[in-house]
Amino acid sequence: MILVEGRVFQLVWLIFFLGAVYVMIRRARAGLPIPEIRKIPGLEAIDEAIGRATEMGRPVHYSPGIGSISNPQTIASYAVLSYVARRCAEYDTRLIQTNRQITVHAVNQEIIKQAYLEAGRPDAYNPDDVRFLSTWQFGYTSGVLGIFQRERPAANILFGAFWAEAMILAETGHHVGAIQIGATANTAQIPFFVAGCDYALIGEEMYAASAYLSKEPVLSGTVVGQDIAKMVTFAFIILGFILEQVQGENNWLRVLFSK
Amino acid sequence: MRKELPMFITAVSGLVVVFSRYFQLGEQWNLTTTLDRWSLVSAAFAIGLGLGNLTRIHYRNVKRRREHWPFSLYLIIVMWAYMILGLYQDVEGTHFRWIYDAVLMQLSATIYGIIAFYISSAAYRAFKIRTREAAVMMIAAVIVMFGVAPIGDAIWANWGKVSDWIMNYLNVAGRRGILLGAYLGSFAVAMRIILGLERAHLGGIGTGTTIQ
Repeated sequence: MILVEGRVFQLVWLIFFLGAVYVMIRRARAGLPIPEIRKIPGLEAIDEAIGRATEMGRPVHYSPGIGSISNPQTIASYAVLSYVARRCAEYDTRLIQTNRQITVHAVNQEIIKQAYLEAGRPDAYNPDDVRFLSTWQFGYTSGVLGIFQRERPAANILFGAFWAEAMILAETGHHVGAIQIGATANTAQIPFFVAGCDYALIGEEMYAASAYLSKEPVLSGTVVGQDIAKMVTFAFIILGFILEQVQGENNWLRVLFSK
Repeated sequence: MRKELPMFITAVSGLVVVFSRYFQLGEQWNLTTTLDRWSLVSAAFAIGLGLGNLTRIHYRNVKRRREHWPFSLYLIIVMWAYMILGLYQDVEGTHFRWIYDAVLMQLSATIYGIIAFYISSAAYRAFKIRTREAAVMMIAAVIVMFGVAPIGDAIWANWGKVSDWIMNYLNVAGRRGILLGAYLGSFAVAMRIILGLERAHLGGIGTGTTIQ
């Protein structure tokens, strides 16, 4: 057999997912109508947050979380960072960006530099404001707390993979009077962002950020494809539930999934 | 070329991972382990970058006598001294280990400990009943709190059962729904990157048009 046993259905599912996304991208490229992404208040609020910081003459703080460079949440945060950096460059607002992972720091430095360049403000880019704090989780957290107390940012954008530090960062941001946008797909931390931040993005919303912010139909097409896959998944869950009740554990769907 | 080469490498690496996972030949070649090793080596090099960045920023603080500059000086001394000690003694060395256990671990526990106070203040704000959703959250929170606190059992013996039901059914169902969406979302992001549609990590958000 060419394929790895037990992963055949996974591959079929992957191909289906790719197909759904491909069809939607083709439709978008051909100018055919595709469903729009609904309004995501957390992403809409980014401009408001940066505008507030500009009016108050205080900086914006951005954290991509503490996940590694290969974490999907960190990757999703790059698009938002690029957007935030460009807006900050346009409004001439100081952006303080903190990192726990040095590889993420290196990428973020490039993203911010490029954003300032594209906004026509390369002179405003300050490499000292893109900071690597510590690879140690609570060392990073203490570093951010110190920056909050000293610099008192007017906007705090937490977008990425967060763990125990989520609550500490969100609450300290609240205490220094920052407008806060929190986004993570770590389900244990979502309640903390909901409680501590003004706006919270839940799970998949953060992955739609690049498509939402760029408003490019091709990128939106991938989000629509993802939604189709999600609907099919939910249909499988309901079907699986019914089959488990009717046919028991050895139902055909379970057998199919184990192929 | 500056953007095309990384995009090409990303696409090839993505395809290698897919090939290794689903095809027997790919599994035998063990290509993902090799890629992981390369990634570890790159990350090890990057630590030098971090050291350089911290030193540069704090050296400037000291040189320009910026506010709180003595802390920057302290950071530079401690960071480099600890690194030199580690190189001299290795990571299991007596003094190196003692500093780690007696200072770093204790500071870590302290920072972790303050979460309890922050949770209280955030919960106070979140549980103010202003909307229907907040009311539902408040009621669920009270039930769960009575379910785990000893006083709950003293009031009514079944608090624990109700609390367990909320945690094991409502909470797990909601959490898995979010996780499912998140996994599919992360999958879509991976596809956008492999296909070269998303280029934020190379500077710029999407396929190159202006941000609205």
